[in-house]
Amino acid sequence: MFGSTKKAVLLMVAVILLLSTTLLGCTKKETESNGENKAASAEKVITLSWPRDVGPMNPHTYNPSQLFAQSMIYEPLVSYKEGGKLEPYLAESWSISKDGKEYTFKLRQNVKFSDGTPFNAAIVKKNFDAVMKNPKLHSWLGVINALDKTEVVDEQTFKMTLKEPYYPALQDLALVRPVRFLGEAGFPDDGDTSKGLKKPIGTGPWVLAEYKKDEYAVFTRNPNYWGESPKIDKVTVKIIPDAETRVMAFEKGELDLIYGEGAISMDSFNQLKESGKYVTELSDPVGTRSLLLNTSNEKLADLRVRMALQHGFNKQAMVEGITLGLEEKADNILSKNFPYTNMDVQQVEYNVEKANAYLDEAGWKLPAGKTVREKDGQPLELELIYDKTDPIQKAMAETMQAEWGAIGVKLNITGLELTVQIKRRKAGEFDLDFWYNYGAPYDPHSFINVVAEKGWGVSEAHSHLSMKQELDQQIKETLASTDEAKREQLYNSILRTLQDQSVIVPVSYIKKTVVYQKNVKDFSFPANRDEHPFYGISISK
Amino acid sequence: MVSYIGKRILAIIPIVLFAILITFVLIHISPVDPAEAYLSAAHIHPTEELLAEKRHEFGLDQPLIVQYFQTVMKICRLDFGRSYLTNEPVWGEVTARMPATIQLAVSSILFAMIVSIPLGFLSAVYKNSLIDNFSRLLSFFGASIPQFWLGYLLIFFFSVKLDWLPVEGRGSWEHLVLPTMTLSLALIAIYTRLLRASVLEQLQESYVLYARTRGIKEKVIMVKHVLKIAISPVITGLGMNFGKLLTGTIIVEQVFSWPGFGRYFVEAIFNRDIPVIQCYVLLAACLFIVCNLIVDLVQLYMDPRISLKGRTDQ
Repeated sequence: MFGSTKKAVLLMVAVILLLSTTLLGCTKKETESNGENKAASAEKVITLSWPRDVGPMNPHTYNPSQLFAQSMIYEPLVSYKEGGKLEPYLAESWSISKDGKEYTFKLRQNVKFSDGTPFNAAIVKKNFDAVMKNPKLHSWLGVINALDKTEVVDEQTFKMTLKEPYYPALQDLALVRPVRFLGEAGFPDDGDTSKGLKKPIGTGPWVLAEYKKDEYAVFTRNPNYWGESPKIDKVTVKIIPDAETRVMAFEKGELDLIYGEGAISMDSFNQLKESGKYVTELSDPVGTRSLLLNTSNEKLADLRVRMALQHGFNKQAMVEGITLGLEEKADNILSKNFPYTNMDVQQVEYNVEKANAYLDEAGWKLPAGKTVREKDGQPLELELIYDKTDPIQKAMAETMQAEWGAIGVKLNITGLELTVQIKRRKAGEFDLDFWYNYGAPYDPHSFINVVAEKGWGVSEAHSHLSMKQELDQQIKETLASTDEAKREQLYNSILRTLQDQSVIVPVSYIKKTVVYQKNVKDFSFPANRDEHPFYGISISK
Repeated sequence: MVSYIGKRILAIIPIVLFAILITFVLIHISPVDPAEAYLSAAHIHPTEELLAEKRHEFGLDQPLIVQYFQTVMKICRLDFGRSYLTNEPVWGEVTARMPATIQLAVSSILFAMIVSIPLGFLSAVYKNSLIDNFSRLLSFFGASIPQFWLGYLLIFFFSVKLDWLPVEGRGSWEHLVLPTMTLSLALIAIYTRLLRASVLEQLQESYVLYARTRGIKEKVIMVKHVLKIAISPVITGLGMNFGKLLTGTIIVEQVFSWPGFGRYFVEAIFNRDIPVIQCYVLLAACLFIVCNLIVDLVQLYMDPRISLKGRTDQ
């Protein structure tokens, strides 16, 4: 069909074509090097890894934008600091009317966006308006639901009026999203930022200088920054989805820092720590890993059964064994480092005898020759649902299954798709489930809100408590209270009741991890769980 | 020839329709509600009202058969919808990531060919020699080692310990070396053995004997006659593997932070980004079909003895 020379030529051409595609791919990329080499000698650069692309850097939307990166570019009116203290940020000061509905912010003078345009009340209002164009998108956030109107009082004064008093309004404004401020030039023509923006322009200490989707993002200092300029010139974020690769890149010295929740496996963290060549740190608790016991199941509606389950497993050993020391056994539902949560609680110790006694007292007897307790012919059988992709949840579920088996409770464990787990939780269709609180700056107000508000699974789990109505009323009062002392007292009462009722069983405190090279100095974890950690950081070459 | 190609291309249509049907069914029997997945990816609290609104928007409240035809029509226009996570058109996101994946697949195939063809050929010609034993060892190793582990080992030795090559990322040619080696080792393992067996089989054929009796040089017999015929199954295999490489570089892309299509797909799975998953499955089906077709054509061209009629009847 073909002559042999022609064949050879055609084959040659095909191979050359294939080869050149490959090589072209390479050479083209060479010009796109992420600039770290250029910078290495004179500039102070910190290179870190992040598992996902930083996203479109829209201050008013959520995924796939990454919180830490958004917080490098955009700033809040008020800032959340250690222990829940609120400090002035883009707002120099503020006043709240007696009825708790009007918030007047005096904006900081001489603040400029990275493009040199001024930050004033008009742009603050424009940002609020953009957020309020899509209230459904932000319906999870209290301040957005409570917001009635916003107005520009004068060039540097901005006023926000709420429909009803809502004390955590300021905490909500400290969040990384959605109420942070985009410069005029970043807005799309119709002002609706939910569909995208023109450019990421903020007032923050950093600007996005270079970006290649899925590969890297380079942040450099904002030349117009109003505050103290960062000590480092550049932050390079390399996108490395695999945790083990991250560790090897770090060991090779390609990375200065690995930071984040779950950014590094427990084994690798301990291995790097033991090597002594690097600095490894754990943060204060950022949240609590808990078990949610659903009282709408009549077996779990009995406090004695809930107490028996709590006494019936060795929490300390389980947490240490499974998380290899990266998490800490939790006794409080909310860790003590949030506002209003610093209270001592009685530890529910591991005591199998007590557990058995509680169950006997509740009428759950162990029939002779059987391994599962029964009452009125019904076995004491419960189901724990967990996220099947989460190895910690799975291991903990298996541990509890074994431990509760020993006290005559049959625990069926069911691994689910995360979306299915959440769906079942929200519908209240579970006996036991894993649950996490939100952390700073969301808690404790977001936490008590879901205890009262239906649709998140937590209120549903508490639904058969005799004091539920009273609890809901107290929560409503707390969120609307304008009196600090009264609020503290209410929080105390609510948290004590929840602690005593054991519907939420605290298991462990989750912590953030960081590993960095020894030439990185002054690293500190941000008080706000979602903020970036580069405020005071420096590096010596 | 033209009518053969035409027929083969037409045959793609029912296969694609079937693939669409399969993905459609899989999505509908999965416990994940697309409306719910969308809202959770967009970080919106799913109220019943919002869910109903989204279900309507996605056409999920229509009869299944209508939904199926709507899906087919959209896919014909290359409209795979928007990603739940990024809100960008899926097709655009996929095509933006394809070059990286194609680059990796092409370089792996080329590398595998460059190594396995001479190695397989030589181990047949010098049967039971040192080179044959070496190729046997390499094949055992290559066929049994898990890819992610090999990737980690290569990074550990060549990047962390020896500091010759970068750990991860895409950029210069150096970034391409380790992922290419990782991907091609398994291919080398298979094709070296395949070619060796095929060459040994050809050596038993009578044409080799006749050629030798006619006094044709051994080199000429081997390269011009034996290798030319023996290589046919290797080409088929490599072609089929090209389709696999284009869709199956997921693990290697993840390990080496290669910004390709496979990594995008992994993220889509974690986020239950259904339009992306659907697009991936369909694209995978199409790539396999196209690669299969190309392989058949190449074989036809290499070995005209394979009759056109015989092929089309299959």
